[in-house]
Amino acid sequence: MNGNHHNFDLKGLLKKVFFLDLIQGLFITFNYTFSKTVTMKYPDEETWIPYRRFRGLHTLNRNKEGKELCVGCELCQKSCPTQCITVVPMQDTTGKGIADRVAYRWEINLLRCMFCGLCEDACPTEALKLGREYELAGTSMQRQLRTKEELLTPQAIPGEFEGGVIVKARLETDETGIKIVPDMSVQKRWW
Amino acid sequence: MAEQMFFFVFAILAVGSAIAVVSLRNPVHSVISLMVCFLQMAALFVMLRAPFIAVVQVFVYVGAVLVLFLFVIMMLDISKAGMERFVSGGQLWVIALLGVLVIEMVLIVSRSRLAVITAPAAGRLTGTVREVGEALFTKYILPFEVVSLILLVALLGAIVLGRKELR
Amino acid sequence: MIELLLIGIKVVVVTLIVFALPLPLTYIERKVAGHIQVRLGPYRVGPHGILQPFADMIKLMFKEDIVPAKADPWLFRIAPVIAMVPAFAVFATIPFGEKVTLPIVNYEVNLYISNMDTGILYVLAIAGLSVYGIILGGWASNSKYPLLGGLRSSAQMISYELALSFACIGVVMIVNSLSLLDIVRAQSGWHWNILYQPVGFVIFFIAGLAEINRIPFDLPEDEGTLGAGYHAEYSSMRFAFFMLTEYVAMVSMSILIVLLFLGGWDGPVFLPGILWFLLKVAMLIYIIIWTRFTFPRYRYDQLMSIGWKILLPLSLANILITGLIII
Repeated sequence: MNGNHHNFDLKGLLKKVFFLDLIQGLFITFNYTFSKTVTMKYPDEETWIPYRRFRGLHTLNRNKEGKELCVGCELCQKSCPTQCITVVPMQDTTGKGIADRVAYRWEINLLRCMFCGLCEDACPTEALKLGREYELAGTSMQRQLRTKEELLTPQAIPGEFEGGVIVKARLETDETGIKIVPDMSVQKRWW
Repeated sequence: MAEQMFFFVFAILAVGSAIAVVSLRNPVHSVISLMVCFLQMAALFVMLRAPFIAVVQVFVYVGAVLVLFLFVIMMLDISKAGMERFVSGGQLWVIALLGVLVIEMVLIVSRSRLAVITAPAAGRLTGTVREVGEALFTKYILPFEVVSLILLVALLGAIVLGRKELR
Repeated sequence: MIELLLIGIKVVVVTLIVFALPLPLTYIERKVAGHIQVRLGPYRVGPHGILQPFADMIKLMFKEDIVPAKADPWLFRIAPVIAMVPAFAVFATIPFGEKVTLPIVNYEVNLYISNMDTGILYVLAIAGLSVYGIILGGWASNSKYPLLGGLRSSAQMISYELALSFACIGVVMIVNSLSLLDIVRAQSGWHWNILYQPVGFVIFFIAGLAEINRIPFDLPEDEGTLGAGYHAEYSSMRFAFFMLTEYVAMVSMSILIVLLFLGGWDGPVFLPGILWFLLKVAMLIYIIIWTRFTFPRYRYDQLMSIGWKILLPLSLANILITGLIII
């Protein structure tokens, strides 16, 4: 109609003959070759600290005086959809809890837990929180049964820490499983 | 001495693989035997102080022609092709004919000038390419051109036959 | 006697070096790939992952060598070897430098195993034989995708070897010899053939990429559509042999390009010739790896039309023009 296709496309031909598009592509990848990489050197050198909303391994909290917040009300056990929490309450007047009732046993079976966080919502005293530890691989089934004593020891990442950063880390393996020890002093964001 | 030993190794392998080409059931195995045969022939060419011919043998026959063979044969239904006998039982006269041909060839070779064994020009491994080229384009220019014309005609014929619609 | 001994030593040394080359090359390839994709590549085995190739080697050695039940057992087993032998045989006639004098015994050594009168033809012919391993491996697997890979390989090889050898003819016409040593010597003093044969160089490079099955022409092992293609059924050391062949072919193709077009060991005097040679080869290997992670793969019909409709006529025209200029 317009007869334009009869026109000799010199620019296009030159582009083809001298592989200009291909060379342009090569330079793009060349620039990327020497740009900063985004790979996180997990788990040997770095690890990712999740945000506070993250739902990882459970932690049982204490109040400011160091008293156990858990009153053994068993609401978490009742709210658990997979029935992986076992709570046995007992009376205690020594004052290690905030009331005269504490948990005698508080166990969670991590093999069944799906980290839904319903137990956390059900807890009336904010004793139970889902923490930010997620390297839970172990070598035995027994290891996945976490007891009260373990959960009462504070996790490496403090609960009030904002998260969302990469920190230095160290991988430790022993006969029970792996452990990544974060070093919170050096923090960076990858973007 | 060593040369003779090598000659026998190559010659026996060449004849053996040539027999394998016609006797093996599986066409792909036949092509592999043919490849071995061609490679042995190339080695024999080297022993005849003709490295250029040897390399061309490998280049053209092993490198290109046999790859084409394989390309076609790989598409065959091997199980069906393997069932067919090369010489069926009732056709024993074919073997007799083969024997006659062998005798004829032996006679021709032994009576001809080719039978006169000339000692290979020892150490003449250089400069052969130039000689071959000069001979081809001066002394044998006519046969060379005729052969190329024949090949061209064959090529055109193949294209005409291969075209789908003939007007 | 000492000549024979020397040739024996040279054969052993070259074979060992070529055998060991794929180890660093796999590492380099994966590192370059990683950094092009803004990743790190192998990092955990040894400092910066430097021991990764050895880990891979050990893994491949101890894996089970599986032969599929319906495969042609004999051809299936021998195909990787058929692929590997020509890749090594190519090095018989490749020169690595001018004569050197050994420092202690004061004996002159040629840096090649044999200087054939028909060197370049020999290299091209033998390098072309590697494709048999691929075709037979594909056919003997008795499986759909390997067979398609083998078929593609044979068609690709025939289409591109023509352009590859025609691109050499221009160089041979200028140098007036088929010997690789003569070709390199004729280029000394910056008379590199790439200056006189730029079109030939481009054709040779592209056809060479197709010949050694590298992206953008790696259709025989097309992961996207054929799932590893011709070596889909292979495991363990037989698979390693195919990988080895691929890397050795990459090295020999780079060496060939350097010898034919980039002046071999010719370069400014402040470095010895052999270092210039290795530097150029390393640069070409890097370029080949770089292209691999830059370009997508061609479609099969595009591959055929590039080979037959562009490269072949172009290489013929190149020969014609070279001839006219020489006359």
